[in-house]
Amino acid sequence: MKPSYLSYLARFNKARHQLSQDLLLTLGLSLLAFSCSAANDAGEGAIERGAYLMKIGDCVACHTSVGGRELTGGLPFETPFGAVYSTNITPDKDTGIGQYSYDDFFDAMHHGVGINGNLYPAMPYTSYSLLTNEDTKAIYAYLMSTKPIKQANLDNDVSFPFNVRFGLKAWNLVAHDAEVFAPKQDKSESWNRGNYLVNALGHCAECHTPRDSLFAMEQDKHFQGAVIEGLEASDITPAELNRQNWTHDDLKSLFTEGYSRKGTVFGGMYPVVYHSFSHLTDTDMFAVSSYLLDTDEKIEAKALTFNGHQRELPGYKLYMGYCAGCHGQKGEGRPNVAPAMAGNATLGKASPHNIVAVMLKGIKSQHYNTTTSFYAMPAYADKLSDEQLRDLANYLRVTWSTQPGDLDMNTINDLKEVIFEHG
Amino acid sequence: MSQSIELTINNQAVGPIEVGDGVMMIEFLHEYLNLTGTKFGCGAGVCHACTVIVDDNLGVSEVVRTCINGVERFNGKHIRTVEGHAKQNAQGEITALSPVQQAFLEHFSFQCGWCTSGFVNESTALLERLERKPIAKDQVEHVIEEALSEHVCRCTGYVKYYAAMKDLILKTEGLTLS
Repeated sequence: MKPSYLSYLARFNKARHQLSQDLLLTLGLSLLAFSCSAANDAGEGAIERGAYLMKIGDCVACHTSVGGRELTGGLPFETPFGAVYSTNITPDKDTGIGQYSYDDFFDAMHHGVGINGNLYPAMPYTSYSLLTNEDTKAIYAYLMSTKPIKQANLDNDVSFPFNVRFGLKAWNLVAHDAEVFAPKQDKSESWNRGNYLVNALGHCAECHTPRDSLFAMEQDKHFQGAVIEGLEASDITPAELNRQNWTHDDLKSLFTEGYSRKGTVFGGMYPVVYHSFSHLTDTDMFAVSSYLLDTDEKIEAKALTFNGHQRELPGYKLYMGYCAGCHGQKGEGRPNVAPAMAGNATLGKASPHNIVAVMLKGIKSQHYNTTTSFYAMPAYADKLSDEQLRDLANYLRVTWSTQPGDLDMNTINDLKEVIFEHG
Repeated sequence: MSQSIELTINNQAVGPIEVGDGVMMIEFLHEYLNLTGTKFGCGAGVCHACTVIVDDNLGVSEVVRTCINGVERFNGKHIRTVEGHAKQNAQGEITALSPVQQAFLEHFSFQCGWCTSGFVNESTALLERLERKPIAKDQVEHVIEEALSEHVCRCTGYVKYYAAMKDLILKTEGLTLS
């Protein structure tokens, strides 16, 4: 073989190798570009960012049925008009949102309009409408990157005329104002980030703001509290939270571990903490507390209220007989069992609603991680008489809060009616 | 601080007796009355080993955990503990076990026995409930599971307790509808 031929062959082989490498690289890049088009559209790292935003938006809690696969929907929402079921939001083309273009998804998130028509406002588009375009894209990119799961949606059980979805167009006109989120210039960056996290993604107002006769949020009563499924979503205005001496650390502890110096979460707030707020980064957590407390400054933790026992009151023996075993003789609580009564924000509220609701219905056990959980609180609806409920509620208030022990039988009867309205 | 407590335990009047405020019922049974058959398990109301029966004057019973409930809750009430189920003669000797106790023995339901007092009390209350309101035969397993599912046993794995109760309920006349 001539040397020139050898060198030619070597050059040919090298060229062929290079060509195939280039070809593969090009093909690979095109595939990558194809699969990441949505993500790239929303910027670098959009899928990862979308996954975080989706957690803080708490999509999983509503779009997953009990024992069901994540994001496949099927969780019922009891509305005054009948049951509405959450839907499959995996990218399955037949039963999920696989056919949604980004614009379709934007419309659903911001205006409550899906490709099959208007969505019921159980989907909090009234809050998500504040999301930035960039964040909506990131969430879209993330959802489209999840595994498509074929699971048909359940039919809603909404009575006439509310089952006529056309009516929702009219409702949107009256009750939904798709605003663009605008930071306030006179507030800190942290406060503004918190405002965005709490009001847009966290959609806290959906439960914590009372609704008017049209079931639209009463914006002039923002965060002043409302009764949802028999429990009171607390007043979380800065005025009330500061009155109750919540600190940044208290809120962080409550949102990351479910309990704090000021008590625990319960009812619908447990899944919110478990699925959503416990995933907040430290910076975002501080932003949330900055916004809720309306200050970036450190707040001093005052001593917890314990006014001492009054043995002569009828509630004393009830407390010792029914409550002290878990909540402690001086109301100090027990770690991983029951929260303290001293400093407890539920007792410190002006409204006794949740005190009575919790005594009647109990609290389900809560699990946060391998080292943090709470045992169930028993329900005492068939154990305590109405008079005992009154005496105990009054005793808790005069012993561990600054609220008066002035609840009478009428108050207890009225509360029971509301608490058991939905079973 | 102490208070005067007066109650009936296993058909015997107890007290008045001075008991400290906030003493848990299990401590009262153990330390004041030497009734140690009721066992202290988790101390947080989860394992149900410390369950006793409280009877009211109308013949309605409830099962109550003694580790998380203070003696104040039981003042003036009628209580049954595991010591009160077997039949005794005038000398205080046991002449016959209760049907629930006998069934648990025959089915080798327990090993270490720590959870047994709770299981005996809960099962006895269940049996009495079925006497008042019999159920269909196909509901028996469901009812047993509903009554006993919160009782924790770390030795035998529950099955033998449940099987004993199923046998007992099905063979006792008047507890199921034919």
